[in-house]
Amino acid sequence: MKKIIRHSFIIGCLILAPTISAQVLIVHPHNTSSQLTRNNLRAIFAMRTPQWPDGIPVHVFVLEDNDPVHVSFCKHLLDMFPYQLRRVWDRQVFSGTGIAPIAVKTEQEMRERVASTEGAIGYLLPENVDSSIKTIEEIL
Amino acid sequence: MILYCLKLAVYIRLLHDKNQCFNQIKRLLLLLTLISPVTVLAETNWLDNLQIHGFTSQGLIFTTDNNFYGDSDHGSANMTELGLNASLQLSPKIRLAGQLISRNAGEMDNGSPHLDYALLDINFTSSSKGRFGTYLGRVKNPLGLYNETRDVAHTRQGIFTSQTIYFDKVRNLIISADGAQLYGEYFLPNGTLLIQGGAGYPIPDENVEEAYFGQDFEGELKGDNLAFLGRIMYEHDGGRWIVAASGATLEIDFEGTATDALGPFIPGFGYALSPLLGVNSGKIGIDYTIFSAQYNGEKWQLTGELAYEDIDYTDIGGLFSDVDVKSYGYSVEVNYKFTPKWEAFIRREAFYLDKEDKYGKDFESASQQLNSTYPFIPAIPGHSQYSENWILGSRWLISPRWMARVEYQMNKGAVTLSPSENDIANTTKDWDLFAISLSYRF
Repeated sequence: MKKIIRHSFIIGCLILAPTISAQVLIVHPHNTSSQLTRNNLRAIFAMRTPQWPDGIPVHVFVLEDNDPVHVSFCKHLLDMFPYQLRRVWDRQVFSGTGIAPIAVKTEQEMRERVASTEGAIGYLLPENVDSSIKTIEEIL
Repeated sequence: MILYCLKLAVYIRLLHDKNQCFNQIKRLLLLLTLISPVTVLAETNWLDNLQIHGFTSQGLIFTTDNNFYGDSDHGSANMTELGLNASLQLSPKIRLAGQLISRNAGEMDNGSPHLDYALLDINFTSSSKGRFGTYLGRVKNPLGLYNETRDVAHTRQGIFTSQTIYFDKVRNLIISADGAQLYGEYFLPNGTLLIQGGAGYPIPDENVEEAYFGQDFEGELKGDNLAFLGRIMYEHDGGRWIVAASGATLEIDFEGTATDALGPFIPGFGYALSPLLGVNSGKIGIDYTIFSAQYNGEKWQLTGELAYEDIDYTDIGGLFSDVDVKSYGYSVEVNYKFTPKWEAFIRREAFYLDKEDKYGKDFESASQQLNSTYPFIPAIPGHSQYSENWILGSRWLISPRWMARVEYQMNKGAVTLSPSENDIANTTKDWDLFAISLSYRF
């Protein structure tokens, strides 16, 4: 009995613990994709995928490098570190071979920009997702 | 389309001609005319497709002896970098990009702005499996892990790029070329394969002449022969591991004058020593190969690079008769991130100009012999033929845009020093360097 109580306590704690939940990928509501692989995501956030499968240009939105939501997004969804992405972007921008994503200051701005830009992709904490945007799933 | 290609050909030709700022602005304007037939912009707000970025950095350098980036022996602030670039997406497949840079680098660069790159990026195909395209115009050379962005403080490993792999004294020769490159990126199950390469005209300058001749002759080095270069890079697991091999092969012509052929007038000898001290028109062939590997962890970053250079002088004569030097250099660095904002590194790097005579012993005795016969020819010490350095450095990311750095170098040898800034015969073998820098980018 003690064991059961202890186990359910631990499980309860896990469920109720303040969710450092994984970020949710968000896209413009007209986006036709429903899931992306980790490789797809890495290529998109490295700015190496200029177009969606339907031909619409990709617009990538990110928070600042040191924003905890960005750091966590890199680690959990891309399995990368913010400095690696920064280096990829810097190499492209300062050699002219590519571009950098659009940096936004807040999650609210992220939601608004993704909702209003066709071809946009970004990420949010689950509690900040609403019906103005579409969520998309990462498959490993 | 034919008209377009013609304009492009004219553009590349012009871009190649001279290196004056005024001409560069004219070339930029010409480049802008290239985009006039493109009307796709009309449909969208073109500002949405424009990205502008830039950077600036100021360094302060102190050396115990020798000069690096100015009169560093007495403290030099002659390390100022400024850059501004723009990228305009003309259509989903076509992008235009350019960057202007001003560098004050002691006697090596006086800060006059120059066109760093100006290119058209045409993407032939792109999908979830990869993309393939071409860069046309003045394109940065993809060499090693850092060559393309060596002027941007934020992207360098330290205050200076590793001088044993990316020699600052000949930077303009290897930094970019006017021509065309193809690129292919392939998204594999566990990584990405990146291939980039092509042909272009190199851009020699006085520093290159000083570096390869030890002096600035009246004649000129010409970048009239196409150089071929490329890099194959594999990024495993999102870039956790990176390996790359890159190379360039180029030939620069030297157009000597009658004065160069005569050599200096030596009292007592007159021009009798012309065959020894004069130089004739000829060419310098350079083959340059770099192997790179890097591990990128959350805290630890390990980097190793190895460079080979083969320099072959043909028909130039004088002291350069039958000179064919094979050089190599390496750089090994361990970097630790104490916090996301603060990191420190230790680097060991070395370069040997002649791998058959690593410490310049034979060179020194030959030079001394020459000096004893002809006292007006300075004896060049053997330590001018190599460099072996220990470097400690740290960087602090004050904000995503501001960065401060500090660096200490313990150097043995002088091969990384520029003859533009130093009388090589009188350089000191053991010298230390301390530098700090503050950089901003947006």
